[in-house]
Amino acid sequence: MKNMIRLALRGMMRNRRRSLMTLLAIAFGFSAIALFAGYTHNVYDGLSRQSIHGEMLGHLTLSKRGMRKEGRLDPERYLLTATEVAAITKLLQDEQHVEMVAPRLALSGLVSNGRASTIFIAEGIEPEAVVKLRSGSLTEAEKKSGRFDNMWMRLDAERPEVVSLAEGLVELLHLKEGEQAQVLVNTLSGQANAADITLGKGFNTGNAGSNDKFAFVSLVLARTLLDAEGRADRLTILLDDKNQTEAMRDRLLARLGAAGFDVEIMTWQELSDFYNQVHGMFDMIFGFIFSIVLTVVVMSVANSMGMTVIERTREIGTLRAIGLKRSGVVRLFTMESMLLTLIGCAAGLLITLLVRWGVNAADISYIPPNSAGRVPLLIDLDIMRTLFTFLLMGVVGTLAAWMPARRAAQKDIIDALGHV
Amino acid sequence: MSDNTSHPPILKLRNIKRRFLLGETTIDALNSISLDIHAGEFLAVWGPSGSGKSTLMNIIGLIDSPTEGEVHFDEQDTRVLDDDALTEFRSRKLGFVFQNFNLVPVLSALENVMLPLQIQGVAEHEARERAAAALVDVGLERFKDSLPDKLSGGQRQRVAIARALVVDPKLVIADEPTANLDSENSRMVVELMREMNRARKVTFVFTTHDQRLLDHVDRKILLRDGNIVSDEVMA
Repeated sequence: MKNMIRLALRGMMRNRRRSLMTLLAIAFGFSAIALFAGYTHNVYDGLSRQSIHGEMLGHLTLSKRGMRKEGRLDPERYLLTATEVAAITKLLQDEQHVEMVAPRLALSGLVSNGRASTIFIAEGIEPEAVVKLRSGSLTEAEKKSGRFDNMWMRLDAERPEVVSLAEGLVELLHLKEGEQAQVLVNTLSGQANAADITLGKGFNTGNAGSNDKFAFVSLVLARTLLDAEGRADRLTILLDDKNQTEAMRDRLLARLGAAGFDVEIMTWQELSDFYNQVHGMFDMIFGFIFSIVLTVVVMSVANSMGMTVIERTREIGTLRAIGLKRSGVVRLFTMESMLLTLIGCAAGLLITLLVRWGVNAADISYIPPNSAGRVPLLIDLDIMRTLFTFLLMGVVGTLAAWMPARRAAQKDIIDALGHV
Repeated sequence: MSDNTSHPPILKLRNIKRRFLLGETTIDALNSISLDIHAGEFLAVWGPSGSGKSTLMNIIGLIDSPTEGEVHFDEQDTRVLDDDALTEFRSRKLGFVFQNFNLVPVLSALENVMLPLQIQGVAEHEARERAAAALVDVGLERFKDSLPDKLSGGQRQRVAIARALVVDPKLVIADEPTANLDSENSRMVVELMREMNRARKVTFVFTTHDQRLLDHVDRKILLRDGNIVSDEVMA
């Protein structure tokens, strides 16, 4: 085997220019895949943080079974009662990975500056829960950049009438922080209910579609407006580890079921359509790029090995004459191809690390589709997909040599020895 | 002539015919050749171009199969062996010396000689020792680390002889081993083969055009048009 590797390595060095060109094709192909995988990894990570912390979906959302489908038409029936909220919260807080349970209450209505009115969609949430949910929204580097300062909104635990409106909505109503406005909402029983609000710090939803509609209100105000004392339409559960999401959902469902609660629990991934759409789109682009690069690599290796086999036909005849079996010839050339591919992938990994370092250090930012602000262009090292690419390219590169190697092995010894 | 014929033959050819199809033309390269080769013989096959020398060598070397006839090597009927078994057989019992030396250009002289042993699966350490000893036998120990393109034609052919002998073969086939050498190197190569034949009792069969080299052999077989015209045992 050692001799075979030595022979394969030296075989690679015979036609250095051709080997180098093949190696570069593999290296750049590999780095293209690894860099794109790293970029999408960063996007997925950012989107997951945006969903869990930015949109405050938490890791899990608990509601009464049927709430998502039927809740809007019959809220009274599907809201959790004050007793249920208290009992479930107590049960969940005993769990090891649960960091926080936050009751939520959605509402919608009209908001007016006294001269003009517009619709709003609001989330009622405890001010302390906002701080805790939002704490994981940005990375340290993103916080330092100050680029996302406008994403932060505040509710005031002491002053429930303080409401945080999205920047688009603030602009629409020509309001300033500290000014008064009025909201009009239907209670659960269908009565109109109005209240004065004070405008708190505005925020950017990060999404152009919701930036002129969305608002956060304190849970106290939401419950007052809806006349739903102690109630919640759902409970947002924050875990200490994102990777525990699925396991915890199953575990909590089992525990709550056993305790007699007929509830459903959705993960943040199930609730975040945008995350799933972006993930699906990038996965498709990744697959497309991967297929193209893989085809180029296979063609390069197959062409290179095809030429090598032709050039070394007489050597193959000699080796066969002195005792190398057909399978040995196949092994020799596939080994050469495997080494070429693996060295190419290793060089590609080096290029990936260098480019990644350069891009991340360059502080590049861009505005993604449907986004209200700039986001930094960062590339992660997606270890799993990089490793997968490394292995798959190694296997495919090796297999690409199989056909020419097999053709060489099948060659008649006398014809091979007489090859010029 | 030694008493080689008193030993059972290591190679028996019986009614060997070899026919090639070139387009629509059939060429009979060998016509019903029967031949015994005994252990320890130093045998030359000679004759004009196209007489069938190389075809005969290919069949003796088990790298070609006859169209008709039987080849028995070391009492083994080679017709029953499949490709892998034949390859294994060649690996252990035969050595080859080619007209163009056919050394692997990226391997040193020592590594070239180690190659057949490593193909057999001999451990690297042992293969290295045996190959080094084989290079000493052919007087090339100083060149063991040289690549083939740094060696003269005569030296390359001596490396090829070392490579053929390193597996302790029963028979060494040399097809025109001196064709690419000058007369001095040709003489040296044939003398080296002769010396190995005598010292190690290895059977050598080689083809040549060179009449002067025939003076060194025990037995010479003249081929013409695929037939044995004479089979002469030298005194």
